[in-house]
Amino acid sequence: MAMRTAAGTKPLAARRKRSRRPWGAIALFLGPVMVYYAIFVIYPLFATFYYSLHNISPVAGKVVTTFVGLQNFKDLFSDKIFIRAVRNTATWGIAGPTLEMITATTLAFVVYFRVPLYRFYRTAWFTPFLVTGVIVGLVFRWMFNVDWGLLNATLRLIGLDTLALNWLGRKDTPLWVVIIVHWWATFGYSFILLLAGLTAIPHELVEAAYIDGASTVQAALRVLLPLLRPTFVTVLILSFMGKMRAFDVVWVLTHGGPMHFSETVATYVQKRAFGWGSLDLGYPSAMAVIWFGVVMVSVGLITRLLQSRMEY
Amino acid sequence: MTSTVSSIRTRPGWTIWARRITMTLLTVVLLAFTLVVIVPFIWMLLMSVRTTGEILNNPYGLPKVIRWQNYVNLMIDPQIRFYRYFYNSAFVAFFALLFSTILATMGGYGFGRSRYDFKFRGILFSLLLFALMLPRQIMYIPQFVMMARYGLLNTRWSLVLLYTALQLPVSTYLMATYFSQLPSEMEDAARIDGCNDWRMFWQVMLPLARPALATIVLINFMVFWKELLLAVTMVTEPAMRTLPVAMMNFVGEHGSDYAMAAASLVTSMVPVLILYLVLSDRFVEGLTAGALKG
Repeated sequence: MAMRTAAGTKPLAARRKRSRRPWGAIALFLGPVMVYYAIFVIYPLFATFYYSLHNISPVAGKVVTTFVGLQNFKDLFSDKIFIRAVRNTATWGIAGPTLEMITATTLAFVVYFRVPLYRFYRTAWFTPFLVTGVIVGLVFRWMFNVDWGLLNATLRLIGLDTLALNWLGRKDTPLWVVIIVHWWATFGYSFILLLAGLTAIPHELVEAAYIDGASTVQAALRVLLPLLRPTFVTVLILSFMGKMRAFDVVWVLTHGGPMHFSETVATYVQKRAFGWGSLDLGYPSAMAVIWFGVVMVSVGLITRLLQSRMEY
Repeated sequence: MTSTVSSIRTRPGWTIWARRITMTLLTVVLLAFTLVVIVPFIWMLLMSVRTTGEILNNPYGLPKVIRWQNYVNLMIDPQIRFYRYFYNSAFVAFFALLFSTILATMGGYGFGRSRYDFKFRGILFSLLLFALMLPRQIMYIPQFVMMARYGLLNTRWSLVLLYTALQLPVSTYLMATYFSQLPSEMEDAARIDGCNDWRMFWQVMLPLARPALATIVLINFMVFWKELLLAVTMVTEPAMRTLPVAMMNFVGEHGSDYAMAAASLVTSMVPVLILYLVLSDRFVEGLTAGALKG
């Protein structure tokens, strides 16, 4: 587990002063990856910031770019759909990781203590993470179908007809369906990461606690949990960022609907940029910029609050 | 108790009955939970071998006869020809894997070995890792414009290029970590024999890094097979769609043939599922190493 950052660690041998660096070889190995990265990642990143200050739309077959200053950002604050999208995504960003961390940590402990069938659980719980969000979205769209979905069929079977709601067609439930379904699709990943963190803790510590008379639960909560903290914070941040950028599950499951009740920033950016035929790429870029800022600040806050360092 | 006792990590010294009762209760709860987790998969499988009529009338029922017809229609129906999307996804995944693997192994070698260290290498490496924090939304609008400008929209190559960029940082990071942990004796010996840098990389070090290579190929394949946002943005032409986009549009375009749609989902997830069942440890290893550093 304890892996060192590759660059930056220099074995002693390397510190010996070299008369000549193999610049040709350095360029050969690092050149392609950095050039590729600059073209396809760094340039688009800066271009998004540039776009956000412009109005970019096709006029008579050509793309015309007009400078509009901060107008896009001003418009965002009076865009009711954007505000709803922000509120939804924020709700998700709080509820989603909370749910995920509680369940994934509990499950990681269960497998760590090697209860019967733990290998089977480990394989089964991770499986949902492997399939595309499109499959997840479609299957759950059917599961939650008001007439023949498995959920409502079950509710009717056990006599709870009143609970058999139109889950995806109301104003209050769709966002929560999205949150639960996305949890289903990703908790396995958090679980696996936390399990790896637990496994990296020397087991002797737990055995020592047993000798001192601790119960299994005490060993888990008092010995393992504090030591798991750095991994926990990393997984929490990954989970949070995952919810902030999640696109595919929402897009297929509810498409942000009905009436934007489950709209998220990611789906709204997509609709404004490519969906509505409005074809102004400046406005959605401004959204992306704002949201990027919000996510960075939130990640900073989480890190600061939990007093642990995030490596990247 | 049986021989499994030694593998159990709960506190020893319980009475046999206390342990048995606790474990039985726990197992019941966990099995129930696991059932809830895998029910969508089971239901999808059952749907795919029934008819849409059966599904709508009785969501629960087991298939009366197993109908493979849905799968056959999926492939041979001239209106659907689902294998086209398989071909598109495989094409994109293959070339994106090729490009990302070449770039990442070379970059990883340059970043990982101390021989190639220089003043700004650490900064460059951090710059590369910075991308792991970037959501796709902050880059994909200019990426779209870029593809439009060079006439690559609605081609598989647009996805090949962008998918390569998508997984490049994490792949390079994984390779660099692995290369940095290899001992330098072989390298030194080979250099004395007059081996140049390229042959050193290609014939000596790369074969040693095969496990890491396998890991990044596996993980990247999974990511490429799953991806939707870029696929739906860069490719609108139906014939060029990859599997996720094709499945998404399937229900809308072919009425409400849910049985057939379910068959398409099952077929499309087979490759990744098989890989996972065969190589699950490698999957887990790669995904954890990419996310957790210390």
